[in-house]
Amino acid sequence: MKARRLTLSQRRQLAGVVFALPALALVIGLIGVPIGQAVYYSFTQWDGITTTWIGPSTWSQAFHNSDLWTALKNNAALLIWVPVALGLPLAIAVLLHQRVAGWKIFRSIYFLPTAISWVVLGLVAERFFAYQGTLNSIIHAIGLSGVTTNMLGNESTALSALGITFVFTMIGTNTMLFLTGLATLDPSLEEAARIDGAGRWRIFRHITLPHLSRFIQLAFVMTVIALFSALFSLIFVMTGGGPGYATTTMEFLIYQTGFSQGQFGTAALYGLILFAITGVVGIVQLRLIGSDL
Amino acid sequence: MKTRRSVSPGRIALFVTMLAIAVAMLYPFWVMITDSLHTQSQFISGSGFSLGSWRQLSAALPVGRQVLNSTLICTVSIFVILAVGLPAGFAFAKLRFRASSLVFLGVVSAMMVPLQAIVMPEFVNITRIGLTSGYFGAVLVYAALGTPFSIFLFTTYFRGVPDELVEAGIVDGLGYVGALWRLVVPIAVPAIATVTVLQFIQIWDDLLVGLLFIQNTADRPITVGLAALASGRTTSIPQLMAGSFVSALPAMLVYLGFQRYLVKGLTMGIDR
Amino acid sequence: MAAITFDGVTKIFAGKPAVDSLSLHIDDGEFMVLVGPSGCGKTTALRMLAGLEEITTGRLLIGDQVVNNVLPKDRDVAMVFQNYALYPHMSVAQNMGFALKIRGESKDVIRSKVSDAAEILRLTDYLDRRPRALSGGQRQRVAMGRAIVRSPQAFLMDEPLSNLDAKLRVEMRLEIARIQRLLGVATLYVTHDQVEAMTMGDRVAVMRDGQLQQVARPQDLYDRPANDFVAGFIGSPPMNLLRAGVARDGDVTLSIAGQSVTLPERLASPYHLANGEVTFGIRPEDIVVGATGLRARVERCEALGAETLVHLSLNAKGASQHLVAKAGPRTTIVAGDDLAVTFALEHAHFFDVTSGATLRVGS
Repeated sequence: MKARRLTLSQRRQLAGVVFALPALALVIGLIGVPIGQAVYYSFTQWDGITTTWIGPSTWSQAFHNSDLWTALKNNAALLIWVPVALGLPLAIAVLLHQRVAGWKIFRSIYFLPTAISWVVLGLVAERFFAYQGTLNSIIHAIGLSGVTTNMLGNESTALSALGITFVFTMIGTNTMLFLTGLATLDPSLEEAARIDGAGRWRIFRHITLPHLSRFIQLAFVMTVIALFSALFSLIFVMTGGGPGYATTTMEFLIYQTGFSQGQFGTAALYGLILFAITGVVGIVQLRLIGSDL
Repeated sequence: MKTRRSVSPGRIALFVTMLAIAVAMLYPFWVMITDSLHTQSQFISGSGFSLGSWRQLSAALPVGRQVLNSTLICTVSIFVILAVGLPAGFAFAKLRFRASSLVFLGVVSAMMVPLQAIVMPEFVNITRIGLTSGYFGAVLVYAALGTPFSIFLFTTYFRGVPDELVEAGIVDGLGYVGALWRLVVPIAVPAIATVTVLQFIQIWDDLLVGLLFIQNTADRPITVGLAALASGRTTSIPQLMAGSFVSALPAMLVYLGFQRYLVKGLTMGIDR
Repeated sequence: MAAITFDGVTKIFAGKPAVDSLSLHIDDGEFMVLVGPSGCGKTTALRMLAGLEEITTGRLLIGDQVVNNVLPKDRDVAMVFQNYALYPHMSVAQNMGFALKIRGESKDVIRSKVSDAAEILRLTDYLDRRPRALSGGQRQRVAMGRAIVRSPQAFLMDEPLSNLDAKLRVEMRLEIARIQRLLGVATLYVTHDQVEAMTMGDRVAVMRDGQLQQVARPQDLYDRPANDFVAGFIGSPPMNLLRAGVARDGDVTLSIAGQSVTLPERLASPYHLANGEVTFGIRPEDIVVGATGLRARVERCEALGAETLVHLSLNAKGASQHLVAKAGPRTTIVAGDDLAVTFALEHAHFFDVTSGATLRVGS
């Protein structure tokens, strides 16, 4: 009966705290605490069991490690696929928005691969790029029988194969975003422009595109974050980070450093670097979608 | 509008383009199905069809068990996410307590933390408390990773529910728990569906968490099973593709069933 | 059923009093209307009674129980919201029976109470519909129904008619008053519309800036406003309030816009009138347009059909004052006319220039 003495607003606040608590415990315990630990362990020699404090020298050592720079370089090189992963879905969304016969079926088909695990898509992509795969069949079919590629097996092309697969995996989500954006476009704006004598391209350039800008920004951020933190499955089944270090990105480097080489401290340090990168992108995202936070 | 539907050459070109894109998007399914309809030797020689790989699938890959594992992990994780996310969203939207907006901001920023950034300490913690045998370690990690987004979505959604509705319920005799479960949750079905579908696909399709946090081979989810099979030395590609197809099926069905909620949910924060 | 007492109730929002030591008693079965301009604190007062808002200081009683820290669900009051706040996922019958269901009433009891209420509100044919499929007036009835099935200690209504169109509002005004009398439950009804206040309430409480101005029966409020705010707020068009000089010498001579009016001793005696200035109040219907009296020019005429509002300016030596008079329908007065007006001084009001309080003796 002690609760009886609380005022109404105290009771409301208490309820609020109690309601939020389980979620907070989960997020703090499994996300917040590990970040703190990662910071601590990044200054230690750590194999998962014993820790020895080393201090900031771990950081300077890490930055002298060529593997880290290779991984960062690979991540940077993959960035050139981001415009493709946005432009292609934008074009597809505009096509769908023309509402040609059967567009709803097309829409479902275009979105369907989104539901497939990237593990499976990676396996399929491996089949596509393989020596006896579909890509070589196509090349031979168009008459270039002398040319045979092996993109995944070649250090100079493996990363591109990964990028192409990445673009394919992002098509569904981004197309869906842009299509929603187009659906919220007021058709009377287009009609008014048409009456003013604007051609298709001008309407797209001056009305549709500005309207979509918020959606494009959101898609951009989501795509970049996926590029930095969701490629693991693809790499794991397609290349295993190779050949050499040709497709080792930050996230795969973390996995390898930690679990193949047992250098937990260094892996935690790499994790913080990755977090710093996605954090910057994330702040941009918060500012875009969270104006009311 | 009907009269403009007369078939112009432009629209035919458009239709053909869309058909071509559709073929490209269906390519993974075509690969999975056709490749699986060979035996390993037929596959290497490139001729002949057989259901042999399907018949032997369960020997190479315990598909049934692993799909069941995936289903269990998904269900429990989503249940936890909803069970902690709905009250938290309600609290942040309607029961604002001291510093609640600051706490909310903190929770939402946790959306930006990639698993790889915290995977090392996380792995050691979960191992230390002995949760890597069985599903529970993985379930906890999935739930923690999915909770910030679900709180963000629920809070946004609940802010759109008029305060008076909750107040009416309270004057009618509900406590805050009652107001949440009997008024707010029934209205939030679209948001709940969105969270459920997005999390289902995310968890079903994930590899890393399953790979690290589930040590018992018998408890493996299907994605881990496939990845393990793929990295084996004598992998039968037709069998791998058959397994892939089986693993893709549930997520696809969920996806098609809930598509309309998904579009709404993804853009709930931006589209107003 | 029970009486309601606000005893020096204060609500502070961000350092400022939204309701400033409100003392108000509502008898059991009484229909009390709380009226005032927006932001005057009337809704806050109602929400404190409902238990949705904290009371900063003072005591609030339902019956003889202090309810300051009693949960809304234990106060046994029913509330009708401005936007109705119907539960969208429940049918009309479920909406109306929800409070009973929470209290664990049996299905049969709920069904019979809901159907009784539906009968009173003429909702019987709509019990299976969702709120979405109802018109505005029907939704309003459901909101009422949700309140009356509970037979609560008190009804609280927060501008329940403001979302209806004019015709429906008149209809529901009568309807709500009828139902309240039928059930005899103490009711606190909040509105900014003085017509609702005048037509519905047994008594009316006028609030301004968090402070109670006057509580009285509607006609008393109209005839004997406690201050110039109430005088100007109640009545449409509002009372004319003019600055007037007072020269007392047995009879009182008022000077208004440089012109003189004589107030006989007999009519001056109910008021404390001393030499100096007062606010002189006269209602539009108490102004007579004729051949003699104060000179006035017609600025504008508004024909309302049943009557015509004549906007006048009293003008002399640069000191100009405006007033509004009522004339009959089909009047021949047009803008630009020069007229003479006299006041029905037995209905005049006098207020203190600075405090605004009435100068009536014994107030």
